[in-house]
Amino acid sequence: MNLAQFLTIFISAVFIYNVILSRFLGLCSFIAISKETKPALAMSLAVMFVTTMSSMITWLIYRFLLIPFNLTYLRTISFILVIATFVQFVEMVVRKISPALYRFFGIYLPLITVNCAVLGVAVLNVDMFFVNTKAVPGSFYYSLFQGICVGLGYTLAMLLMSGIRERLQLSNIPKCVKDFPLAFVIASIMSLAFMGFNGFRF
Amino acid sequence: MKNRLIVSFPPHLHKDESVSKIMWMVVISLIPTGLAGVLIFGIDALWVIILGVISALLSEGILQLLGKRRVSILDGSAFITGLLLAYNLPPKVPFWLPIVGSFFSIAIGKLIFGGLGQNIFNPALVGRVFLMASWPKYMTTFSPPLSAGAGFIHPFDAVTSATPLAILKEGKSAEYISYLDLFLGKRGGCIGEVCILALLLGAIFLLIKGYISWHIPITFIFTTGVMTYVFGQKGLFSGDWLLHILCGGLILGAFFMATDCVTSPLTGRGQIIFGIGCGLITAVIRLWGGYPEGVSYAILMMNAATPLIDRYTRNRVYGVK
Amino acid sequence: MKKLFNEFLKGIIKENPTFVLVLGLCPTLAVSVSVINGIGMGIAATFVLLGSNIIISMIKNIIPDRIRIPCFIVVIATFVTIVEMTMKAYSPVLNRALGIYVPLIVVNCIVLGRAEAYAQKAPVINALFDGLGMGIGFTLALILISGIREFLGAGKLMGHTLIKGFEPAYVLGMPSGALLVIGLLLGFFNLLKERKQ
Repeated sequence: MNLAQFLTIFISAVFIYNVILSRFLGLCSFIAISKETKPALAMSLAVMFVTTMSSMITWLIYRFLLIPFNLTYLRTISFILVIATFVQFVEMVVRKISPALYRFFGIYLPLITVNCAVLGVAVLNVDMFFVNTKAVPGSFYYSLFQGICVGLGYTLAMLLMSGIRERLQLSNIPKCVKDFPLAFVIASIMSLAFMGFNGFRF
Repeated sequence: MKNRLIVSFPPHLHKDESVSKIMWMVVISLIPTGLAGVLIFGIDALWVIILGVISALLSEGILQLLGKRRVSILDGSAFITGLLLAYNLPPKVPFWLPIVGSFFSIAIGKLIFGGLGQNIFNPALVGRVFLMASWPKYMTTFSPPLSAGAGFIHPFDAVTSATPLAILKEGKSAEYISYLDLFLGKRGGCIGEVCILALLLGAIFLLIKGYISWHIPITFIFTTGVMTYVFGQKGLFSGDWLLHILCGGLILGAFFMATDCVTSPLTGRGQIIFGIGCGLITAVIRLWGGYPEGVSYAILMMNAATPLIDRYTRNRVYGVK
Repeated sequence: MKKLFNEFLKGIIKENPTFVLVLGLCPTLAVSVSVINGIGMGIAATFVLLGSNIIISMIKNIIPDRIRIPCFIVVIATFVTIVEMTMKAYSPVLNRALGIYVPLIVVNCIVLGRAEAYAQKAPVINALFDGLGMGIGFTLALILISGIREFLGAGKLMGHTLIKGFEPAYVLGMPSGALLVIGLLLGFFNLLKERKQ
């Protein structure tokens, strides 16, 4: 377990291989919800919470359930069930604790289940930190940290995009590229800009 | 096109200026750099500049006609975009490179957002990073300055003639070149970035006339200098910050591209944040990233953050708590 | 019969999942680097879509409404696992090329979206044709996008170089290029729609 590895995970997940701008995970919600800053921030925080927790839970399940019983091919099904259950659980808790917050999130909360980023980071953790069904030393902490960083990367892209799209509401954009097409073009330019961090070495 | 939109509070003083006039003034301030580039690199550089500018003007004209919008190629902004894009290219690129680059700058960097004043990203830089990602071979093949001739002792690679920053990136020392040579532009690099003298002449002109303000360039350059000094090659606080400031596209970027008022924050406070951000990212990429130069990426990233910066550094409105 | 054919057709043009419904973008952009990958992903997704639409339509009356989404996901995940294992066995090269995007078909908005919006309300035969149409529409979209990206970005088509001396724009093989192509294509199709009116 060394610091350089954590730093690499951070730079990778947030900047170089940004979950949205580089891996295309979570695009649907990104394009749909990044129109205004407030919902974008709310969605990002919720996603970050879910990616962090589900990274932990899926790691534990993979390590202590799937591997010992030779069920690694059930990875996809079990992970997505875990995530769906967890999101459902979060929904119930939020509803109980703070109805105002629940109403604020609205439909965005259940939508996190199908956010590619969440399942994506769980699968990524397994691919990166397990070698032939053996866990790499420090694997749990790396996976957890990667879950957090993926959430941070998602938040960064969302905040930047929502700021931009809010400003663009005052512009007279050509009608055929309004909304979605232009959002993709902007994401494309942002992706180009973030490529500046390629080849990072400490 | 007279800009009648006023964003501050009365009383106002009237200045006889229009957006168009400011644009052409910026063009004039860039002429010394262009001349220097041609002098240093030869007639190839002149062709790149001409092709870049003409392609930008034609692209804007044709696309605006097709989109049934008012043709605005005379306001100077397309000219600047084409010029700046050309200045960001190595001198011996294939003829079609500046043409495609300018077209992309105008179409995707500017018009798709609705035209002048509405783009989020600096159009010339959008074109540059597009070209860099698409044809890296052409964008990183530099030629030595003409004045070099037979007497130029290039330490490592006589064929690709790497820039000083590229040599630094490989971990080797860049002591073969003197500060004076760097200042005058006797090095390999992009057409408009090498001659610091010419760039500063134009920059001082713009500063005196008030067309750009000091906030962004000074904080940008200062931050990059501090970072490269602190994290030097031979240990902490040993970095050659002067070398870093004179090399690469820092001066060109800080004075002429980061200061583009459309894509940078409105208030002084916001501009300082912008400048520091650009400086930090540039330094980080130069010091630890894979690319030798990071100015274009840094500016584009801060362009993306500008709407947010503007939102949180608004001036207090008189009478509102 | 005509009605069924229309169900099939709408997935291809009028309600094309990629260009009209703007669903399932994650895999579209990621795998459309070459036409072969695009076709591979398209076929995999079509299989899952077909299977899940049919099964969900068959059991729609048995599933309690409260837990319908997890139920759908289990059905979809099962088909995805079948596809995953088949691909690993018979086409490991394609499997490696498509990477994590194969398991991600589970959360592909198209599959879940069709289950939620259609399969749970329609008779099995309609669901079958809808699934087929959507799957083929998705595959065609993938072929279009990857065709552009492979030709302009790598100078090849299906692995063969077409024009000698053509300098491809490598950016199109990168994520940035993918986003750009889909943005411009969406804009182009919007333009066509505008002109039609």
